[in-house]
Amino acid sequence: MLQKQRARFGYLLVLPALLLVTLLNVVPLIQALILSVQSQNLIRPNPTAFVGARHYLRALTSDPEFWSSTIHTFQWTIGSVVIAYIISLGLALLLNMEIRGRAFLRAMFLIPWVVPNVVTALLWKWFYNGQFGVANFVLMKLGIISEPIQWLSTPEAAMPSVIAVQVWKLYPLMTVVLLAALQNVPKEVLEASRVDGANPIQRFFYVTFNFIRPQSMIIVLISAIWTFQSFDIVYLLTGGGPGGATQTLAIMVYTKAFWATQLGYASAIGVLMMVLLVSLGLAQQALEVFFLKRAGKNG
Amino acid sequence: MADVVMTNMGDVTPTRSGWFNRKVVGLLLAYVALLFAMVVILFPLLWMFLSSFKGQSELFARDMTLLPNVWTWENYVNVWFNTPFPLYFWNSFYIAGLTTLFTVFVAIYAAYAIARLEFKGRKAFGLMLLITQMFPHIMLVLPLFAIIKALGLFNTHIALIIAYTAFSLPFSIWMLRSFFAAIPTELEDAAAVDGASLMSTLHKVILPLVGPGIAAVAMYTFIQAWNEFLFALVFLQSQSLRTLPLGLASFQEEFTLRWDLMMAGGSIVSLPVLIFFLFMQRFIVQGLLGGAVKG
Repeated sequence: MLQKQRARFGYLLVLPALLLVTLLNVVPLIQALILSVQSQNLIRPNPTAFVGARHYLRALTSDPEFWSSTIHTFQWTIGSVVIAYIISLGLALLLNMEIRGRAFLRAMFLIPWVVPNVVTALLWKWFYNGQFGVANFVLMKLGIISEPIQWLSTPEAAMPSVIAVQVWKLYPLMTVVLLAALQNVPKEVLEASRVDGANPIQRFFYVTFNFIRPQSMIIVLISAIWTFQSFDIVYLLTGGGPGGATQTLAIMVYTKAFWATQLGYASAIGVLMMVLLVSLGLAQQALEVFFLKRAGKNG
Repeated sequence: MADVVMTNMGDVTPTRSGWFNRKVVGLLLAYVALLFAMVVILFPLLWMFLSSFKGQSELFARDMTLLPNVWTWENYVNVWFNTPFPLYFWNSFYIAGLTTLFTVFVAIYAAYAIARLEFKGRKAFGLMLLITQMFPHIMLVLPLFAIIKALGLFNTHIALIIAYTAFSLPFSIWMLRSFFAAIPTELEDAAAVDGASLMSTLHKVILPLVGPGIAAVAMYTFIQAWNEFLFALVFLQSQSLRTLPLGLASFQEEFTLRWDLMMAGGSIVSLPVLIFFLFMQRFIVQGLLGGAVKG
């Protein structure tokens, strides 16, 4: 009786959340799938124009823009996540030492995470400004470069420049997660391996890293999902330019829908993006299973 | 025991090279590295704050100095009195406020239910929350744009509040869930024995215990809504309805090359979330780790 009552109470409590999430996450997803097989146009909507897989075929076989955007998305995602992970790991290891003011330092390092993306984009745009930007000024004063670099408006420099900004956004949360993971590494095991004669590098790879691998994988996956679909930073910094050099899939969906008004085609690219994202998630799962198996064999 | 002896020996035994032993050198290097990293990482932000106090002539000077030669509030006065900035500020403030209120209200009950109450589909609901995190917002924005238009909500703040609530919910529920799960079940059992109803047990016994979790979720939601750009860009049309991020971004087109305004505006937009964050960061970090990582 009580069991039943608690179950009913459960449904009641979940209902509002379920409704909201369904209406604004699940229904739009289905709607996006429907849009992607229709010839929808933002200016003259025509819901009955079924075109089947035509948009998908167009993207995959005859639109070089789709492929270049896909490559840029991977460059942008992998570049940002890998660099952010290396930096966060270094910071987390440093912050894990028994130092004074650790709480203060941790808070300072987290600051970029809360700065609104629009502000992030604007401040870096000012920072990168070819004529008046401080980046060029400092590098020239230090003698590292001899003439100002047009960070955001030369095709070769643009992608690394926007990646640097995303790294600045991504590393804080990664650092916190890795720091929490590091604090769970048992001191006795580290001590034992020291006694056994392992040097610091061996201790890191054979002991510490094994303990922080699960958290590392989760935070890398979450960061990759965010970065893969992120829109505002690149949009505000370069708008996808120069000459499409930083056009990611997210930017392409936006421009196809709201500038070219091709709602149906844009939806198809959105769906393809999602397929890529899900594959990314599955790949991560597979990797985890692989590592678990290997760990099982070794242990 | 062995541990204690070993560490004591290391710390206490006076050696000739005591000041230069490896531990001390290691710590010093760590400090230097951390301070260096902090300066590099915070420099762009610092540069924005400092630039916001520089006059036009200094902002576009050939020779740059870290600190303004002449400190001026002029840019802040300009942004606040000569642009629609206060309006944007107010729009963002109440949109983020209402979003936070709704999200916390809905998330508390859902999180409690999936943490504590046995019912069919509980696992499926939890999984659904996780999966929705993988939907790219840029893909959802197209159908939502059509839905919002059909409902007559295009170019209204209600559209944004609903969308922000729905998008903050899954993560907020997931985060709060772990706070509820950490509370011993004996408390509920005791309340049940005393004859309290399920609802009053939740309100009077459980809720007071998850204060830090609620604070974390509220902060997270507020920051998300305060910072959001894409939905505001797509759902709003009128200048008077713009939120802060949208308004600030539009400065780029409307006041080309007015970096003085943008730096002051950027500082004003960041300040509330920064102050909030620095006071509450302990809760936020705890909540994020509890929700996102322990799963």
